[in-house]
Amino acid sequence: MRRVFTIAVVLFACASLVLAAGVKKYGKDLTLKETTKISAIHAQPDAFTGKKVKVQGPIVEVCEMKGCWIALGSDKEFQTIRFKVDDGVIVFPMTAKGLTATVEGVVTVETLSVEQQLAQGKEMEKEMNKPFDPKTVKGPKTVIMIKGEAAEIQDAAGR
Amino acid sequence: MNWRRLNNVLHRDIGYLAVGLSIVYGVSGVAVNHKADWNPSYRVGKTFQQIDPVAAGDRDGMVREALEKLGIDQAPRSAFRPNPETLQLFFRQATYSIDLPSGAVVIEAARARPVLFEFNQLHLNTPKRLWTVVADLYAVALVALAVTGMFVLKGRTGITGRGAWLTAVGVLLPGLYWVYYLYR
Repeated sequence: MRRVFTIAVVLFACASLVLAAGVKKYGKDLTLKETTKISAIHAQPDAFTGKKVKVQGPIVEVCEMKGCWIALGSDKEFQTIRFKVDDGVIVFPMTAKGLTATVEGVVTVETLSVEQQLAQGKEMEKEMNKPFDPKTVKGPKTVIMIKGEAAEIQDAAGR
Repeated sequence: MNWRRLNNVLHRDIGYLAVGLSIVYGVSGVAVNHKADWNPSYRVGKTFQQIDPVAAGDRDGMVREALEKLGIDQAPRSAFRPNPETLQLFFRQATYSIDLPSGAVVIEAARARPVLFEFNQLHLNTPKRLWTVVADLYAVALVALAVTGMFVLKGRTGITGRGAWLTAVGVLLPGLYWVYYLYR
């Protein structure tokens, strides 16, 4: 019995060491060599629509409910871009906030109507546990997103 | 060894092997089923603090000033300004969102729930790769347990007696619910 317990402890310790590695991969491997600046996508969203890009930035938000998206801070202030994965493909840990992520996916640009923004705001209010003020919606809004299946996070320890 | 003895040995030994995984998947299953009502992996807390206003300027200067006013001597992982009035400081266990003009600070802390976090990660197959194989084998083991389980006993309590009725109930339950779900 003692031997079984010892083996279990050793296996758990090995697994913890693997999880504590410097760069943690999520989903598929990154394939692109060139990194695109997030500000460049913001500057010309139509030029990037439908194109596969690799971007890098600090994680400034994580989906609280499912871990199915992260928002990356841009190289320019007041800009972010959301990286979305299909539910369950990747589960981003909430403790990754502030770490640098490199993600790869296809750029999508969508114009949300006022009604869509109000519906999304209510959904986000529940998802992110943050109050939503409908007055902040002032008209149609362009949303830039990267949809993908590959990400790497620096120094992510797994929890 | 006759077929029933082989069946029972398989049922017993696969059952032993499946104990650990069944607990992981069972406990996590209940936790994740109710994720609309709570966060099954993290305990998320929000606290508030008031500091003197922070002068807007270059980001490094603002970060230094904010850290000093907050009384934090640890460097943040990173800092970000989502809008001209807000500075966010990211630490391992907490995010500080500072309203620069008023000095109002919202501190959000997310801590992984002990044990449940790990159970959920395994249940949702976050590790992927080798764990996908383990999860597939576990699924096959569950099917094997179900099939061999039907033939463990013979006679009145076996599959030709009470077992047939209970098995029928177990098969009808998902089938009937699906019909109800489609036509409700």
